Amino acid sequence: MNSPSSIQGNAEFVTTRREFLARTGTGFGMMALAGLANGEQPHAPKAPHFAPKAKRVVHLFMNGGPSQVDTFDPKPMLTKLHGQPLPVKNFRTERRTGHAMGSPYSFKQYGQSGLPVSEIFAKTAAAAADDLCVIRSMKAEVPNHEPSLMLMNCGDGQLPRPSFGAWVNYGLGTMNENLPGFIVMCPGGYPIVATRNWRSAFLPGAYQGTHLDTKHTDVTKLIANIRNSRLSTSEQRQQLDLAQALNARHLKARAADPQLEARIQTFELAFRMQSEATDVFDIKREPKHIREAYGSGTHGRQLLMTRRLLERGVRFIQVWSGNGQPWDNHNGLEKNHRKLAGEWDQPLAAFLTDLRQRGLLDSTLVLWGGEFGRTPVAEYPALNGRDHNHYGFTCWLAGGGTRGGYAHGATDEFGFRAVKDVVHVHDLHATMLHLLGLDHERLTYRHAGRDFRLTDVHGNVVKELLG
Amino acid sequence: MKMTARMLVFLLVATALSAADKIDLAKGQKHWAFQPVKKPALPTVKNKAWVKTPIDQFILARLEKAGLQPAPAAAPRDLQRRIHYALRGLPPVPNSKIVDLKSEIKIQMATPQYGERWARHWLDVVRYADSNGLDENAAHANAWRYRDYVVTSFNADKPFDQFVIEQIAGDLLPTKGEAARREQRIATGFLSLGPKVLAEPDKMKMEMDIIDEQIDTLGKALLGLTLGCARCHDHKFDPIPTADYYALAGIFKSTKTMDSLKTIAKWHEHSFATPAHKKLKEKHEALIATQKKVVNAFTAKANQQLLVELKLEKLPTNPEGKYSKTNQVELAKLNSTLKRLEADVYVLPSAMGVEDGNATNLPIFVRGNHERPGEIQPRHFPRALSDGKPISDKVSGRLELAQWIANRNNPLTARVMVNRVWRWHFGRGLVTTPDNFGKLGVKPSHPELLDWLAAWFVENGWSVKKLNALILNSATFQMSSMPNAAALEIDPTNVLMSRAPLRRMEAEPLRDSLLQISGQLDLKVGGTIWTFENYKLVFNHTSEDATTYNSNRRAIYLPVIRNHVYDLFELFDFPDPGTVNGNRADTTIAPQSLYLMNSPLVHRTCATMAKQLLAEKKLNNTERVEWLYVKVYNRKPTANESKRAVAFVNEFCQERQASWQALCQALVSSNEFLYLK
Repeated sequence: MNSPSSIQGNAEFVTTRREFLARTGTGFGMMALAGLANGEQPHAPKAPHFAPKAKRVVHLFMNGGPSQVDTFDPKPMLTKLHGQPLPVKNFRTERRTGHAMGSPYSFKQYGQSGLPVSEIFAKTAAAAADDLCVIRSMKAEVPNHEPSLMLMNCGDGQLPRPSFGAWVNYGLGTMNENLPGFIVMCPGGYPIVATRNWRSAFLPGAYQGTHLDTKHTDVTKLIANIRNSRLSTSEQRQQLDLAQALNARHLKARAADPQLEARIQTFELAFRMQSEATDVFDIKREPKHIREAYGSGTHGRQLLMTRRLLERGVRFIQVWSGNGQPWDNHNGLEKNHRKLAGEWDQPLAAFLTDLRQRGLLDSTLVLWGGEFGRTPVAEYPALNGRDHNHYGFTCWLAGGGTRGGYAHGATDEFGFRAVKDVVHVHDLHATMLHLLGLDHERLTYRHAGRDFRLTDVHGNVVKELLG
Repeated sequence: MKMTARMLVFLLVATALSAADKIDLAKGQKHWAFQPVKKPALPTVKNKAWVKTPIDQFILARLEKAGLQPAPAAAPRDLQRRIHYALRGLPPVPNSKIVDLKSEIKIQMATPQYGERWARHWLDVVRYADSNGLDENAAHANAWRYRDYVVTSFNADKPFDQFVIEQIAGDLLPTKGEAARREQRIATGFLSLGPKVLAEPDKMKMEMDIIDEQIDTLGKALLGLTLGCARCHDHKFDPIPTADYYALAGIFKSTKTMDSLKTIAKWHEHSFATPAHKKLKEKHEALIATQKKVVNAFTAKANQQLLVELKLEKLPTNPEGKYSKTNQVELAKLNSTLKRLEADVYVLPSAMGVEDGNATNLPIFVRGNHERPGEIQPRHFPRALSDGKPISDKVSGRLELAQWIANRNNPLTARVMVNRVWRWHFGRGLVTTPDNFGKLGVKPSHPELLDWLAAWFVENGWSVKKLNALILNSATFQMSSMPNAAALEIDPTNVLMSRAPLRRMEAEPLRDSLLQISGQLDLKVGGTIWTFENYKLVFNHTSEDATTYNSNRRAIYLPVIRNHVYDLFELFDFPDPGTVNGNRADTTIAPQSLYLMNSPLVHRTCATMAKQLLAEKKLNNTERVEWLYVKVYNRKPTANESKRAVAFVNEFCQERQASWQALCQALVSSNEFLYLK
């Protein structure tokens, strides 16, 4: 049976699927559909507060905390004092630290801007130094992973708040009704605190991130339950037509009910996702020269999928370095940071170049960074790694209306504490929302009798970062 | 000039710091939830015939005032289904007769599945989990004993006040025999189940964080108060000064929750090992020691043989590889016996829980910082709700705290619990913020009804079963969920309750129903299916969690791993098991649909159902469809539906099993199955 003939012959059921869906959709106007809670339409596109520079966000999360003085914040003074105690007292960090540890890497200036970048990110710098807006004066609250991840992702170190990606989807809705609006890629499983990093908390569940384990290359492993192991597409359509006919009968008896209508629509979205997702995550469809440019590693694959998702209108994509906390190099930093950066460098260069060439970079806001940075002093007992450092660290932005080839703020002469034009994580959030056309003080959600914001009662837009 | 938010916060904090007692207690005490519960008179109504219980009078009075009519009674089969899910979380037995509703409700509450259903509600409130979560996700391998305690308590209809006291201070209660003593100590797992930063280097901070979690959970779960907010500053909205927070914290500081704070820290467990248990353990250890000796003796003998045979003076490296075949086989056998014995560790029975430590008072820690101690606070209960008298220095104060909370004069405890029960039946509480009855919570939609229920609950011995019966026997509960036009216009969100809510099954009933209708559900009660070494990290070194969920036991027995909740649970709004949540979300998202379309569990269920249908050789297709409808929807199909379904299986594909399986799946993924109307 290929056509739903028996539906048509039966007065109890509406005539065709198309008509049925059109009917159930009318209650919503722009029906959309990755989900719906309590009768709202979470994914309908929404107008920003003012004209945006960026339409989408890519957050490259270097979880574990990359060292600023070994990447984008050169400190010649530290190299000079290598092996000696700093002339100031070490700040209180998580563990015991000792003498100054100069960067084992060399720095070079790149691009017209002459932005200095470490040798471990040479390719990224050569390809896109003039696109990078490096913030050297980042500041967080505590030297522990979990609260710092929560602060960076959800704007609060302790309380269960919605994630940045959830807020952005809540604020702007979706541009593609066939895919989730917030996609999270992490190879090998979860970073620490897992799904809390991309939760929706009290926002409707439709805004939470959809996690993909990008260690897999097969789409059936990337997205849970994305493929039916038994039925062909047409058989599944036939089955879904029957289920939807049953739903139509069930609904007809009750007049409009947003919950039931939403459920009906999410089945249609799920059905479409099966093919759309198969297409978007299949990077074999990219020409060979593109695949080669991104490289054959996990991050190349992640970033190529990211670009394909951006092209299809996914609003917020978060890409992690790996499960656990890979950048957390308390020991053996020289070797480990080189390895980690090495895995990112070429894919990053290719990704930024690719976005620029396709005209996507201007409307895509890229954030690179960890939950905090690392100490300029070495950690006991091995004295060849660095401890956590929330007093000062580096993040960079690119594209999406940011000021390229620019280094903002500064840490002290050793790279310990942010001292000039300090940018707190709340300020970073406020600025990024601003670039998306959202006023962080007006993007609110009423919960438990109070209006909540991503930035709580903090945050200032950092004007200098805007292009 | 406009005052910025930042300035405002600074001022608030500064004010809070300058005087810990600046909170106006008298003013704060005027909040509605802090007023004593007074049982109001029943309101008069016009449509007296509709009223079945006093609840209905309160609901109807408001409807009549708004010019609304209550919806007609739900169809008997719909109501039967609703009652079964409300009480047992499972579908009715197919084709079961509907006896009168009153008896049906009573019968269902007497099944062991009732306790499981209601225990799961309570486990949401007490942030139950089988692992610690956070950075050191250590296994709570004995948490299930607390879970069993909760199931047993609901089945036995333990008075709620007693239930509360046992969970806070069961270890301090007089004992009525060894079994009761054991139960009461297990109950204190309530205080111990929270997520803890087990690798916190600052030990004092770790201890204060654990205490904070206990206070926060206790406050939200039992009193509907966010007491934790007063740790760093006076509560910004409720009359809870920081001084009161540290007065409470002193009670928990005087309590032993942890055995060791050394990284990775270990929580305390009550041991239930009898001399017999210990003997068994010793015996097992002796067996291992003996077997080790046997292995060593054999190796020595074989080595000696080797030296002789090969005429060597010194043993070669890896001598075992050069043994004779017979010796190699024999050694492997002995070693495997040893391994088996070692793997089969004899675990002495114990359970998470707390006991008294040394009674101590804590100072206020300025801004929550334990390195900045202020004035010592004698232990007492929050002054806005009590006389604030200091607790004796001879006791921790935990039992006194429990008795104060479970006291019939505490204005919050009964209100909070009846509101929870109402929430679990109707999907929305009379107070829509069931974990927050403070200033920031939402005021009750029916304040008189809430108070009447609270008073009635206490008068009726804090019996949850009686409360459930009262609600389920009400005309309010038994209304149809069908809205009428006037109601949609005047009260679109149904705050006044002119109809029953349409509710999607929660994760556990959904999963259990799938197993039940396919005849796979195992109704064994109690115990654990998850065997994991206590305190061991559930994620291995590659961040993999090997926990599986293939059991056919009810969902309440599946392990709850913090940070890695079972995917079906995660998809269908199981709450974050790290915090109190008496108000689960109800989302409708595409991954749920993918689950119903493509997941192995749904496929397995439908394949089993199809097989059973086809095995019934005596049935024709129409009868099979009827069987299916009754199982899935609790009703017979209409003639048209039956014809449509038969046509579907005839036309779907050649293979009968596949066609019936497809039909089963269409039914179980349809709204009539997923929603209770």
